[in-house]
Amino acid sequence: MTTAALIHVVVSGLATGSIYALMAIALVIIYNATRTLNFAQGEMLMISTFVGWAAWEALALPLVVVLLVAVAAAALLAWAIEWAVIRRAISATHFDVLIITLGLSLVLRAAAGLVWTHDQFPFPSFFDNRPLVLGPVRVAPVSLGIIGGSLGLMLALGALFRWTRLGRAMRAVAQNQRAARLMGISVERVYSASWVLAGVVGAIAGVLIAPVVFLSSSMGLVVINGFTAAVLGGFGSMPGAVVGGMLLGVLENLAPLWLPAGIKHSVPFLLMIAILMIRPSGVLGRARQRKV
Amino acid sequence: MSATLALEDVAVYYGKRRALDGVSLTVEPGEIVTLLGANGSGKSTALRAISGLVRPARGRVVYEGRDITHAPADAIVAAGITHVPEGREIFPEFSVLENLLVGGHTAARRELGARAEAAFELFPVLRERRTQLAGTLSGGEQQMLAIGRALMARPRLLLLDEPSLGLAPMLASEIFRTIRRINEGGVAVLLVEQNARRALRLAARGYVLETGRVAVAGASRALADDPRVRSAYLGLGRAGR
Repeated sequence: MTTAALIHVVVSGLATGSIYALMAIALVIIYNATRTLNFAQGEMLMISTFVGWAAWEALALPLVVVLLVAVAAAALLAWAIEWAVIRRAISATHFDVLIITLGLSLVLRAAAGLVWTHDQFPFPSFFDNRPLVLGPVRVAPVSLGIIGGSLGLMLALGALFRWTRLGRAMRAVAQNQRAARLMGISVERVYSASWVLAGVVGAIAGVLIAPVVFLSSSMGLVVINGFTAAVLGGFGSMPGAVVGGMLLGVLENLAPLWLPAGIKHSVPFLLMIAILMIRPSGVLGRARQRKV
Repeated sequence: MSATLALEDVAVYYGKRRALDGVSLTVEPGEIVTLLGANGSGKSTALRAISGLVRPARGRVVYEGRDITHAPADAIVAAGITHVPEGREIFPEFSVLENLLVGGHTAARRELGARAEAAFELFPVLRERRTQLAGTLSGGEQQMLAIGRALMARPRLLLLDEPSLGLAPMLASEIFRTIRRINEGGVAVLLVEQNARRALRLAARGYVLETGRVAVAGASRALADDPRVRSAYLGLGRAGR
């Protein structure tokens, strides 16, 4: 295999990896605030991408506006789910909430099927589909666009967590909820903000990936890869989510070169099992002690 | 002028266990009041009931004439009460400075710099360590950070739970001196403390809790002379009863 071909495979691996990383970040945002996993994360992505697409179909809006529509839809949906469902289950165990989000994911997927059918639809892309040729290397602009867009979003999130009052409050809640309350932080508002932020990250990931994988009611399954990415990197760690996502994306793309074709979709699970056996705290994770 | 704080017949349950059983007490503006009592007598629970971490089953918590019994914890901080919990509970993954900044969560952004500066003046060692992760501080430094962090919200009432616990005597003395300085700045203090002798020297008045009730109350000097207090908490007179 030539270096040029290898670069192509790695770049497109980094592109899908970026999306996994964004999904992992979305999962970790909610997990850090509430200590629960949101299995409906993928379906939230799918619904908000569909809403953006519907706006594009109906009104032929520019793509930037479509993105904003998807983001707004995601924020509203996430806020509504947190407020209407999750918050009512405040006395439920983390396990109960996990089952609730699993149920929600089924409901959302069925609802999307009713509204938009279970067919696949092409989604408009920000990027040209003619390959970019740099000497012998050919890369798809869409890959570079996804990587660039994702990195931009990650930097924005990093700045938010580091330098804003909300970000600091979210990190404080992740460390010690009771102490966060004593600082005057409304933990409930942080829950709500975490859901909205996770929803928004998902929507941006959805609009970035939809031109590649097509829009369909089953595109939410990407949450599984996001979950694997988060575990790979060390669940709870944001940099870990990014590294885990990229790693997963690249390995998933490289595996078929040496292993039997068709192995691609098993890669996340094989990797997850391997990492849980070798280094359960993940690549960048540290052993977390549970606080009461 | 109403009292800074008044508990009126407050009862708190943890499940079926009764932790506070009808406690009434007051803190006047600018006063230091101490809460004494054995482990499990309800001292920490009283502080938690004030700061909104636990909800009284009965009774009222009144702050500057306002009923805050059912106010959420964040609103209570914004109203001017901060609580330094037992065990400090600093944020270990934050730097010293970030701990202070998060303590100013309810403050305007432009206030934060000056307030952090005031905390550094009170505890110069925190300035030296301001970029260090708080989890790597010594126990005494963590206690200073916890107090500095609580002052970031500019409270008018400071609740302190065992500020000298686990500290060497010298450090404990320093913490107590600082509490007096904070108080001289006009902040009322409700102090829960194991070291009854020290607490009574610092406070104007005290309450002794026993199994969730006020057993004895009065001026510090009177409490220090009270035979029951002497034997049970000051290790003087006849031990036990």
